[in-house]
Amino acid sequence: MRVLRIPLVLGLVLAVIGFGLGISITGLIRQSMDLSFWETELSWSTGYPLALIGWLLGVGGWKYWGREWFGAEPRPFTTTGWKRYFDFSPDHKVIGVQYIVTFAALFLISGLVAMLIRVELATDGMQLFNNDTYNRAMSLHGITMVAVAVAIIVGGFGNYVVPLMIGAADMAFPRLNALSYWLVPPVAVMLLISTFSPQLGGWDTGWTAYPPLSVLNDSGQVLFNLAVITFGVVSIVGGINFLVTIIYMRAEGMTWWRLPIFVWGVFAASLISFFFTQAFAASLLMVLLDRVADTSFFRASEGGSALLYEHFFWFYSHPAVYVMVLPGFGIALEVMTHFSRKPLFAYRWAVGGLLGIVALSGIVWAHHMFTSGMEDYLQAPFLIMTEMISIPTGIIFLAALGTIWAGKLWLRTPMLFALGFIFNFMIGGLTGIYLADIPTDLLLHDTYFIVAHFHYTIMGGEIFALFAGLYYWFPKITGRQFNETLGKTHFWLMFIGFQLTFIPMFQVGVKGMNRRVADYPAEFADLNMIISLGSAVLGISFFFFVVNMVMSWIRGERAEANPWQARTLEWELPSPPAEHNFPTPPVVVGHPYDYGVPGAKHVESAPAGAPAGGD
Amino acid sequence: MKRDLIVFAVIWVVVSAIAAAVTYYVLDPFPTAGAEEARIIDDAFMTLTYMAVPVFGLVVAGVAYSVIRFRSPGQPTEDGPPMFGRGAVPLAWLIVTSTLAVAVMIHPGLTGLFELRADRHADLEVNVTGFRWAWAIEYPESGVRVNSPVDEMVLPIDTRIQFNITAIEGDVLHAFWVPAFRVKMDAVPGQITEMFVTPNRLGDASDVAFRLQCTELCGLFHAGMSMDVRVVEQDEFERWLESQGATASKVK
Repeated sequence: MRVLRIPLVLGLVLAVIGFGLGISITGLIRQSMDLSFWETELSWSTGYPLALIGWLLGVGGWKYWGREWFGAEPRPFTTTGWKRYFDFSPDHKVIGVQYIVTFAALFLISGLVAMLIRVELATDGMQLFNNDTYNRAMSLHGITMVAVAVAIIVGGFGNYVVPLMIGAADMAFPRLNALSYWLVPPVAVMLLISTFSPQLGGWDTGWTAYPPLSVLNDSGQVLFNLAVITFGVVSIVGGINFLVTIIYMRAEGMTWWRLPIFVWGVFAASLISFFFTQAFAASLLMVLLDRVADTSFFRASEGGSALLYEHFFWFYSHPAVYVMVLPGFGIALEVMTHFSRKPLFAYRWAVGGLLGIVALSGIVWAHHMFTSGMEDYLQAPFLIMTEMISIPTGIIFLAALGTIWAGKLWLRTPMLFALGFIFNFMIGGLTGIYLADIPTDLLLHDTYFIVAHFHYTIMGGEIFALFAGLYYWFPKITGRQFNETLGKTHFWLMFIGFQLTFIPMFQVGVKGMNRRVADYPAEFADLNMIISLGSAVLGISFFFFVVNMVMSWIRGERAEANPWQARTLEWELPSPPAEHNFPTPPVVVGHPYDYGVPGAKHVESAPAGAPAGGD
Repeated sequence: MKRDLIVFAVIWVVVSAIAAAVTYYVLDPFPTAGAEEARIIDDAFMTLTYMAVPVFGLVVAGVAYSVIRFRSPGQPTEDGPPMFGRGAVPLAWLIVTSTLAVAVMIHPGLTGLFELRADRHADLEVNVTGFRWAWAIEYPESGVRVNSPVDEMVLPIDTRIQFNITAIEGDVLHAFWVPAFRVKMDAVPGQITEMFVTPNRLGDASDVAFRLQCTELCGLFHAGMSMDVRVVEQDEFERWLESQGATASKVK
């Protein structure tokens, strides 16, 4: 049974055993009460948690961790080479790559679903889908992209870069870090099983899963809830790990006011993950209980309230957009500073802006509910709070514009994406004001205007920043340089395709096309055709991205330690860095962004001469 | 440096002027305006757009000018000037952006909200019930009830209408929206939500703005959960009610 030594195989086997155990327990209890052994929703709800535990133990949790709970020595982490990416690795750099590759794959799959949606909506009438399959596809696109947006920057670059930037050997809790990553594959698998299983019927509630619909629809909803609760655990655990790492693991001399802005972005996002995700997991758990345990949190006919869920849900899910976008701010500002060769303008103000957004993020949620029928007296306060958020956000724009002004702008691919980020996020931010001001929101709520708005903030903002980061740190992570021509082609196609897709969406939304519809009145067909054609350009751009990444990773030019001549700590190390990062702990003596200051140094003993590690 | 700022300011003004001109002469984003509420909301929309124009212009001009003027031909060999932005600039920025935020908060935000909510009286009550996947419209004062998709929702012009909106208990969330009236409101099971509209323009379903569309995802046929809307003169509305009343009594 050598095959059982492969972590993924053992994980799968133990997951199946766990699932069988879980359904057997409930099945036997049910049989003792003269009920059927199998009850789809209940069986999944008890089988899945045990399957999840089996999976985690098998994939490495037992070998490297669980043994010591019973007095045995845990096995040493030995895997090297490509195999470590398929193992339970405590190395933050391996985990970072695992996150980036997993979520980039999910991003591309979900992007393909979006392409299918645009084929369907290119003209009125039904093309590709029927009502049921459209709703499932739209819901799948929604939740997978939300998952990508929440996790890819924090989980990917947060893991890979933050310990390097603060001069740490690893994250504070390396094994917990590995555990949180290995919770991700079950989430993706559950969502896909649910969507494509005819027996389960998928789920058609969008990513928001509003009850009572999510209590009444097909059984696929149960898998959605289980998966997304698991994803909440990933987010909470990751948040704790980043907070502790950034608070306690900084190198000597790395004071709070010397932290690179990306680290601040991850810190701010982690505060939100840590404080708010519980509400989201709880609300989905309540939906699950309404289904399988016959509680009535949200069933009006039995005294429940549908509005209760909306309050709970948005209490997390509005702050969640800042989990997505704050690390994006960090990357964009980081890249702009190094590619303008100027200090980050108004650095302390920008940090204040990030933390100000965190502070306000928790008291604005009901702006998603202006038309929900909530109490009238809540309207004005939430309008006021929501408008306030434009103040700290505005400071980020000051920092960006002040940094590039009068700099030495080197327009490489990462810089282009960072500049694209400013343009897109400005449109996303300005159109957000229309949604915070209630009179206009009454018209725009649940129309394509909102679809365009949040794509501008999340895709135009965060995802553009993500690509800035991907190109910026590609040489550090892979040890190879990407192809600049392909990179620039990717940027321009993506930027133009993005505008062509989402600018007309504002128009068609105001004109009266509501969102989440499989079909629409013929009057909106012309604009939708433009949108679909634009989205084709957008889709094609990722072809250049994938080719560039794959080809360059395999046989790109060898990258030097610091190809951008940037000043933060990760560039002091060889590309890629050795296993425990710094041969001797670095001593930070100055600000990371003191460009143009004669004699300024960020770090005392540059360990650049250290032998290269990794492979 | 001073020259750069002047050129930048000129570009900012030009970009903003072009954007304002486009807004004024070209932009016509709205569906047909069919109610008093539409005027308030469309005005608010345009006010916000005019306020957004200079901000848009500032960022576009800032990025465009920097990219053109400060571009380095290859990898830069020297650093830019160390500007830290510690003094008056961020403070001034904070004051200006805060002022703008408070301004849009007050007008058109709060002013529009209070204008829409001020008048709580109604000349006509209409009960709306959503269920998967159709609408039932009831005129309680005359006992008339019509249903989508067979019937139209007929409303009298220049009459302040109070919609009492709900969804059947045991059903799901829906939302009531007629684009010509602009405002929308969720239909919540077990709860009655109110919405006030004063139609001020005749119209019917030949205009896509005169359709009652469900705007809260409600499952399989959400996209098709709509109902034709017809706004008619008041005396025609009375006649219509009578004709509907007659059919109703026949059924009984």
